[in-house]
Amino acid sequence: MSVKVWAFSESPSVANEVASSASTIARAAGGTFTVVGLDDSGPLLAGEEKVVLKADTRLSTSPEAAADVLARLAKEANPDVILVGSTRDGKEIASRIAVKLGRPCVSEVFGAALVGETLQGKRNVFAGKLVAEVVLPLPCVVAVKVGTTSALPASAGKAEEKVMGSVPSKTKLVEMREKQKGTVDLKGAKLIVAAGRGVKKKEDLAIVSELAAALEGAVGCSRPLSADMGWLPEEHHIGLTGVTVHPDLYIAVGISGQLQHVAGIKDSKVIAAVNTDKSAPMFEASDYGIVGDLYAVLPAMLREIKARRQ
Amino acid sequence: MKIAVCVKHAVDETELKVDAGGNPQLKGAPAKMSTFDKNAVEEALRLKAAHQGEVVILTIGTTEAKKTMKEALAMGADRGVLVSSDPMAMDTLRTAQLLAAALKKGGPYDVVLCSEGSSDMYSGLVPPMVGEILGLPYVGYARKIEVSGQSAKVERALEDSVEVVEAPMPLVVSVVSEINEPRYPTLIQIMQAGKKPMEELSPEALLPGAGQSASLVRGMKAQAMARKRVVFEGPPEETAKKLVEALAAEGVLPR
Repeated sequence: MSVKVWAFSESPSVANEVASSASTIARAAGGTFTVVGLDDSGPLLAGEEKVVLKADTRLSTSPEAAADVLARLAKEANPDVILVGSTRDGKEIASRIAVKLGRPCVSEVFGAALVGETLQGKRNVFAGKLVAEVVLPLPCVVAVKVGTTSALPASAGKAEEKVMGSVPSKTKLVEMREKQKGTVDLKGAKLIVAAGRGVKKKEDLAIVSELAAALEGAVGCSRPLSADMGWLPEEHHIGLTGVTVHPDLYIAVGISGQLQHVAGIKDSKVIAAVNTDKSAPMFEASDYGIVGDLYAVLPAMLREIKARRQ
Repeated sequence: MKIAVCVKHAVDETELKVDAGGNPQLKGAPAKMSTFDKNAVEEALRLKAAHQGEVVILTIGTTEAKKTMKEALAMGADRGVLVSSDPMAMDTLRTAQLLAAALKKGGPYDVVLCSEGSSDMYSGLVPPMVGEILGLPYVGYARKIEVSGQSAKVERALEDSVEVVEAPMPLVVSVVSEINEPRYPTLIQIMQAGKKPMEELSPEALLPGAGQSASLVRGMKAQAMARKRVVFEGPPEETAKKLVEALAAEGVLPR
């Protein structure tokens, strides 16, 4: 029996990553994979075999409707593995399909592979302190952690269209606004300087930005600075419930190093920390640290960096 | 308005010890109410304050979970329902089926609140599954909930956007921590919490003949955190110089 894997995401940028996971899983097992997309969420790029779902209702902004059409199609085609991108809406879609098809479902999975009649993978648990190995019998639904594989390159193959008719929805979208967007792309940044509660006033973020600018890096922050204080837009928030980053250098400034924050920076190549508190957990998660006041240390670092350039 | 809040008694990730071989010491590890569940309880209490009614706490757990139940009751919830079973031995689908069965038995509820994910497993799958199983409208990642008449207007915090969604009641909502600041119970509230009613249900009675969990966690190991942990102390000029030199030697500074 040849294994059939589906790759789906309501988000076009994530879809190519999910396609990449599907390709890896299917190829290793001698199976096939199909990229399934929504007609209204943007063009499908990756994958040779593509199916686009069309409906009279908007699908890309309704996880309920997207799950409905996907589950209907899956009942016909019966894929062994349905991979969904583990975005916020993606997790809802995966959950709903799992219930509709009575399949087991696991989210935030990375390193997934088929082993016999099971799919095995890993996921971070306990705020990233532990890695759990999960085993799911086939057929199953798996939400793949975003940012753990590189996207599959685009291919020319044309997508087959499936018309799914109208889909009833129990909720009504009345407004949608893009989040306050800067120019920061933390996911792709090579160098990040991130600020935490050690920064006393919003204006003082300037010294953090200045260091980031001198190092040609991006500015990030821990959760309190974006969610509680509102000093930076949420797209700067690095951690379990924010962005996961993997720069070459991550400098944590005045960040205590809660597990939830460290969970988002684990894949950084080198981590450095500046903190007044010698016992801050951030130092445990760092390669290099300075015990000291950021208000004195950062200007000194800036002078040192400038001196080295001359 | 009758409100149910699904909470989880979870091992405190900050207190969890790991032995030299990287194996977690889960047995007897300190546990607490899952972090974001406090936001769900708080939101239920705020809805009750604005619209009257009752707040019922629902949890699947062992006897230990009564600690979390009492905390939610001390915050101001009216009564509790404990489904006596070990949530760590269940997968997400089985958990959701059991919660849905308990909600059906004790319902109908106007609003079912959950947090976006538990602080131990952080799957984020159970709330939408509960909505799907019960056939109720589900709105995930709420950062604001307004109820008027028989419908709710909910602001959803997604990765790149904020959506405003309207749904009729009854409905299931999961909340993010930005939604509110959970209250601390007073000493008197803590003492009175023990007197509030707590019902215990057996899982077999709720879901007769329900199958075993299909997916399973085979093992958990500590993440290898091979960091160098070199710490510089001293005057800023000296430590800054040492750090910049070390980072340059690592080849991670722009040339």
